[in-house]
Amino acid sequence: MKKIGVLIRKELLDILRDKKTLVMMVVVPIVLYPLLIIGMTLVIGSIMSSQENAVYIIGYETGYEETAKALEEIVSRNPQEFDTEIEFISFDKEEADSMLRFADVALRFKEQENGSLQVEISYDSANQNSSYACSMIENVVELYREDLVAEGLTKQGLDESFLYPVVSTTVDSASQAESFGMDIGGSIGMMMIVMILMGALYPAIDVTAGEKERGTLETLLTLPVTNFQMIFSKFVSVAVIACVTAVLSLVSMVGSVLFLIYGLAGDPIVEMGFSISGMMSTAPVLVVTMIVSALLCSALCMCFCVFAKSFKEANNYVTPLLLVVMIASMAGMIPSVTLDAKTALIPIVNVSLMMKQVLSQQFSLALAGLCNLVNLGASALIIWVLAKMYDSENILFADGFRSFRLFQKRSDIKEGTVPDSGDLMISVTVLFLLMLYVGSAASVRLGFWGTLVSQGLILAIPLLLVWYMKSDVRTLFSLQLPKRGSVIGSILLYLGVYCLIMVLSVALTAVFPESTENVELTFSEMSKQPFVILLLVTALMPAVGEEILFRGLLFGSIRENGKKRDQERSAAVYAILISSAVFGLFHMSLVKFFTTFLLGAVFAYIVWMTGSIYVTMCLHFVNNAFSMAVMKYPQTIGKVLPFLMAEELSVPEIAGILTVGVACAVLGLILLRRSNKTIVN
Amino acid sequence: MIEVCGLCKEFERNRRGEGKKQKVKKETFLAVDHVSLEAYEGEIIGILGPNGAGKTTLLRMLGMLMSPTEGSIVLTDEHGREIKELTEKKAAIGYLSGNTKLYPRFSVREYLQFLGELYGFDKRQIEKRSREIFKVLDMEEFVDNRIEKLSTGQTQRASIARCLMADPKVYILDEPTLGLDILSADAIIEFMREQKENGKIVLYSTHYLEEAQILCDRIYMIREGKVVAHGTPGALMARTETENLRAAFHAVYQMGDDSRAGFENDSTKEKIEGVRS
Repeated sequence: MKKIGVLIRKELLDILRDKKTLVMMVVVPIVLYPLLIIGMTLVIGSIMSSQENAVYIIGYETGYEETAKALEEIVSRNPQEFDTEIEFISFDKEEADSMLRFADVALRFKEQENGSLQVEISYDSANQNSSYACSMIENVVELYREDLVAEGLTKQGLDESFLYPVVSTTVDSASQAESFGMDIGGSIGMMMIVMILMGALYPAIDVTAGEKERGTLETLLTLPVTNFQMIFSKFVSVAVIACVTAVLSLVSMVGSVLFLIYGLAGDPIVEMGFSISGMMSTAPVLVVTMIVSALLCSALCMCFCVFAKSFKEANNYVTPLLLVVMIASMAGMIPSVTLDAKTALIPIVNVSLMMKQVLSQQFSLALAGLCNLVNLGASALIIWVLAKMYDSENILFADGFRSFRLFQKRSDIKEGTVPDSGDLMISVTVLFLLMLYVGSAASVRLGFWGTLVSQGLILAIPLLLVWYMKSDVRTLFSLQLPKRGSVIGSILLYLGVYCLIMVLSVALTAVFPESTENVELTFSEMSKQPFVILLLVTALMPAVGEEILFRGLLFGSIRENGKKRDQERSAAVYAILISSAVFGLFHMSLVKFFTTFLLGAVFAYIVWMTGSIYVTMCLHFVNNAFSMAVMKYPQTIGKVLPFLMAEELSVPEIAGILTVGVACAVLGLILLRRSNKTIVN
Repeated sequence: MIEVCGLCKEFERNRRGEGKKQKVKKETFLAVDHVSLEAYEGEIIGILGPNGAGKTTLLRMLGMLMSPTEGSIVLTDEHGREIKELTEKKAAIGYLSGNTKLYPRFSVREYLQFLGELYGFDKRQIEKRSREIFKVLDMEEFVDNRIEKLSTGQTQRASIARCLMADPKVYILDEPTLGLDILSADAIIEFMREQKENGKIVLYSTHYLEEAQILCDRIYMIREGKVVAHGTPGALMARTETENLRAAFHAVYQMGDDSRAGFENDSTKEKIEGVRS
């Protein structure tokens, strides 16, 4: 802990002594933003006032002087609406075709057969003055029409209400602050994220690739510092700088806006529905969000920059990150997207959405907390994985893509290669995208049978990867028969954890109520199928495919890779945590995440202890088959095990299930450990 | 002491194939090939060899910057206990090479301050140690300048100061006198001698054979990752019937593989014993 403090102090001092960083951090926000904001507003203001001060010339053919006079009279009658000078000029028939050369807008009048007058307004859309004059003259003509109608009605002895039996007016119930938040809240969120990212980018490159380029990293690695201490201290320093940059930017932006509103002798140049005191009440939330966003952005930047060997390389890696983050941060600008329990789970997007809510002063503290928690968790995960992934050798001497063996030619890959972290990341991402697009398309087209496509993908991608890598499938996937004792232990452990999961999921559904509509829809679709086919498609296929993917490929590869640097034990624990976290995320539901995570962890533990994936395949099959049975024959199951079907559990029931669960789990653990010892011996 | 056993490091390189298409294929090779060595307290060990022989890779593994593909490095403290924790190993080793640069935006004094805090010294200790080091290395006049402003010799002395600050048991120095003038180089040689007197282990690589001849207690000669000869400078010269180490070096590298294998074997145990007693 003390070492981290020393390291952070050193990093900050080092960053702050770099002139380039200082320029990015201080000069850009303090000088550039006010210049841009005030400059732009003044320029736009002067353009607008020059438009209003101009004299617009309207040309028309001779012979319609009376109509022109009437139009002119309308303009002078409504000085508020038409606050510019308009001059009507008549042109002879011969000149009529070239009217637009002299006038901003040309009018041609034509008497229709039914006695009405058609007005053709020609203008030059490439000319701003012409466009402005055109829109103005359209309004004038419209008013003229109303005048004529009113005139006609009075002639007939009718009231105006004859023409307008129904009149609608709109009243905006949103307070000024609310509409302000909706209008610019989204873009403020985006600007904040981009500012933080810009602030984080330079120091992130400096402390990783920069340090490598200067050759000081090798020195740092000879010091008695662990990788975690090193990466964590760098991360904190980058986040601090990012925060400072963001605060400076925000202050200078707000300052220049305030200057625009009140600065010039109390005469507001720009009016905004924006109450300073209202903003103050949300300030604590804003500050927390900003700090958490800074952490997240720094973690993301670090994640890319650690790969790079030089400044130039780091810049190349960071460009895609910048694009993705910018686009994600634009979410707040899409009107229909709002912050809810689902969107709050997507990092960056949630910040942007939250800023919109905070600025329109109608945010929920719970959702804001969830967003920040998610982002904090994401950054912690990134940093933890980074520290694990990179031993000093990787950081120093390997080129950036060493952990992506997938990019090598297959003929260059040695027999028995274990997929590295980069390969796993790519294949899981590809699989996820395929499931999202191909899988869901297949489900829409083929209905129930579409799930077969997804299941096939889950099985195919890992097999393709290990084929390409020429991996040793037997050890990687733990393809061996288990000892009898360990099987009994595994079953007991599974039963125990199943009880715990049952209680957990009841508790979770109470905390996070989720709509069950979708689930019921697929259930009704499923229950049409005969039970055998159901078992095959929803129990057997996932049992094989998902076990191969999560317990075979992910758990196996991460553990094998981890063994190279860690003790066998910590490598396995790391592999269990990562593989089951991905397993949990794969089910894409907040409630299911925790339960599937737990189940995945237990399965991975069983594979580790028994050395056999067949055990968990069977357990996974039983698990899925059982829930299918519950769904298909609720009555029968309900009679045998009534508490399974209960919506809510009473306290003694919970206590009973928990006791049985814990007892089973502990017994299973003991059996597993004992049988594992005999295997080792 | 350090005991190294069967140390290997595998790297990849490209090679154009023999066939018609002459495809460039990747192949692995051993940059360090089953190197075994040991070093005792109060010894200066020289690692000699041409460029690309694997000296730097060997020293990097000894400095705990690279992990070996195969083999083991055992580091024991003065009581004969093995040091196992990686950070403790790093704390016991002072590693210096051309690539271990110092933070250019720090002054030497600030740098040592940072190191001292990292090694867990208190303020008074740091102050005292820095003052001693500055005096010994004769660097008082430039300690408050930023490191980016220093000359080559001054920077190298600052690097030595960095190693000294931690007071390690083992010094691993990769070509410490490279590109230095005679005065600066002599200062560093003097520094290595002093450390030997203090009962430290010094392992260092160099291309200056005259320097190695007078300085080293024992020498390991390396070629293509393998140890091809080792012993005291005197023994090496006697075996090759030469008058100085430079000639011995030439003689060793001109010998065929067969004679080399035998040559290494009989110059191990007894000579170490001789040096120790």
